[in-house]
Amino acid sequence: MGSAVTRIVPIGLLLLMWEVITRAGWINPFVFPPVSEIAVRWVALLADGTMFRPLMETLWRALLGLAAAIVVGVPLGLLMGRVRWAEWFFEPLFSFAFPLPKIALIPLYVNWFGLFSFSKVMLIFTDCLFPIVLFTYHGARGMSRVYEWSALARGTGRLRLLWRVVLPMSLASIYDGVQVAVVVAVLVAVVTEMVSGGGGLGTMMIRAYRYGDVRTAFAALVTISLIGYLLYRAAQLLRARLLFWHVADAQP
Amino acid sequence: MIMSRRWAQGALRLLPLIIVLAAWQAASASGVLPKSLMPSFAAVVLALEGLLYSGELASNTLASFARAGAGFGIAVAVGVSLGILMARVRVVQLAVEPILLLIYPVPKPALIPLFMIWLGIGNFSKIAVIALGCLLPIVVATFNGARSVDTVLLWSARARGTSERRLLWRVVLPASLPQIAAGVRTAIAIAIILLVSSEFISSDAGLGYLIFAYGGVGADDAMLAVVLYLAILGYLLDRLYLLGLRRAMSWHAFAH
Repeated sequence: MGSAVTRIVPIGLLLLMWEVITRAGWINPFVFPPVSEIAVRWVALLADGTMFRPLMETLWRALLGLAAAIVVGVPLGLLMGRVRWAEWFFEPLFSFAFPLPKIALIPLYVNWFGLFSFSKVMLIFTDCLFPIVLFTYHGARGMSRVYEWSALARGTGRLRLLWRVVLPMSLASIYDGVQVAVVVAVLVAVVTEMVSGGGGLGTMMIRAYRYGDVRTAFAALVTISLIGYLLYRAAQLLRARLLFWHVADAQP
Repeated sequence: MIMSRRWAQGALRLLPLIIVLAAWQAASASGVLPKSLMPSFAAVVLALEGLLYSGELASNTLASFARAGAGFGIAVAVGVSLGILMARVRVVQLAVEPILLLIYPVPKPALIPLFMIWLGIGNFSKIAVIALGCLLPIVVATFNGARSVDTVLLWSARARGTSERRLLWRVVLPASLPQIAAGVRTAIAIAIILLVSSEFISSDAGLGYLIFAYGGVGADDAMLAVVLYLAILGYLLDRLYLLGLRRAMSWHAFAH
């Protein structure tokens, strides 16, 4: 509780300073508006529903892309962690392409999947796939063999072993990957919306830029940051709920 | 003997990549993958060769590197000094920490439209976004590094009469280099992402612009050639950085 207060008070002071400096007229309010005016605009855009549709569009694209990446990435990562030839084939490909900027593929994806939501979701999927596959792979690979041996000694079949031992033991690592991917999903959603339009908060920001509407641009930025932050926190909370039993998460 | 084994291992790791590229070429040549969907790998390589010879790639690489380099350079200079000061001077930490906390959860590409309002659609807004995006990982890494400097090192320097300013420069900075290096590596990746997105959104030169322009007119082979070139460039940059780091840091305890 104490740490929350020590964090919030300095931020409050900072926002207060922002307000005072802009109100004093040292900065052109058209270029950099007082924080209170941004807050008023943010509430107004939410209240009259203008923000609601873009918010929902960005959110469903990000979540759908992320979900698809989990559905494909976790089995693939487990396979790589357990089967030699899969590791041999996929590990270099994913390791090589992981640090590359996938957003450079936007024009190609627009060619393949059209200008609308599908190409955006596919790019989010592609970008999220990398952290999820690699974290799952390292989790499955680094698992202590003792668990495997004790399950095999009790006559557990191969498939059942994967489902009942390898997957649960890799969950902590998988979750690390998902937490990286959550942030990536929101980021890529916004960038694709800025580059190729089609609604959402990214398009809203670009439109605000064209009208020189700094307040609306700021309001959209606040919403984007909030989505990213809340999704990240939600993933953290879910982790505490799901993984309380896991060795990597156990309280000392 | 050891050398040849390492080469063999490297080749084995490269083999899947070669298989994928060969499969791509075979699919295009046999007509399974229609040209309207994707040009063949050979066509992309030919386009890359053309772009290299015409000098188009060189001039646009220069434009991109100037932007990314300027933003990145600012971020390293400001980020390292700020991080060390934050760790050593309480007032600086109190003043800077809330700003970092406020900016940290913002997806940095989302700042591009705001910076375009403030600084126009030219180079300045791109450099500013790249500088800000790269600044955060470097500040945080430097701060964490400088905060956890072994106190024995500080004591022994002070005992020999080292002044506080000299201490920052000669002890704290070198001791936090491993963390700073990790932060800088993250920043390189961020710089490339921000560079490409900002050049997609508004630009008349640069690698992002080139990808977007060729994609827009349906010259898929040239577009993919630039994407491939960017990928190789990014990979080499990362390798080069790690190699340089290993050389420069060989004296450090963490390298052994």
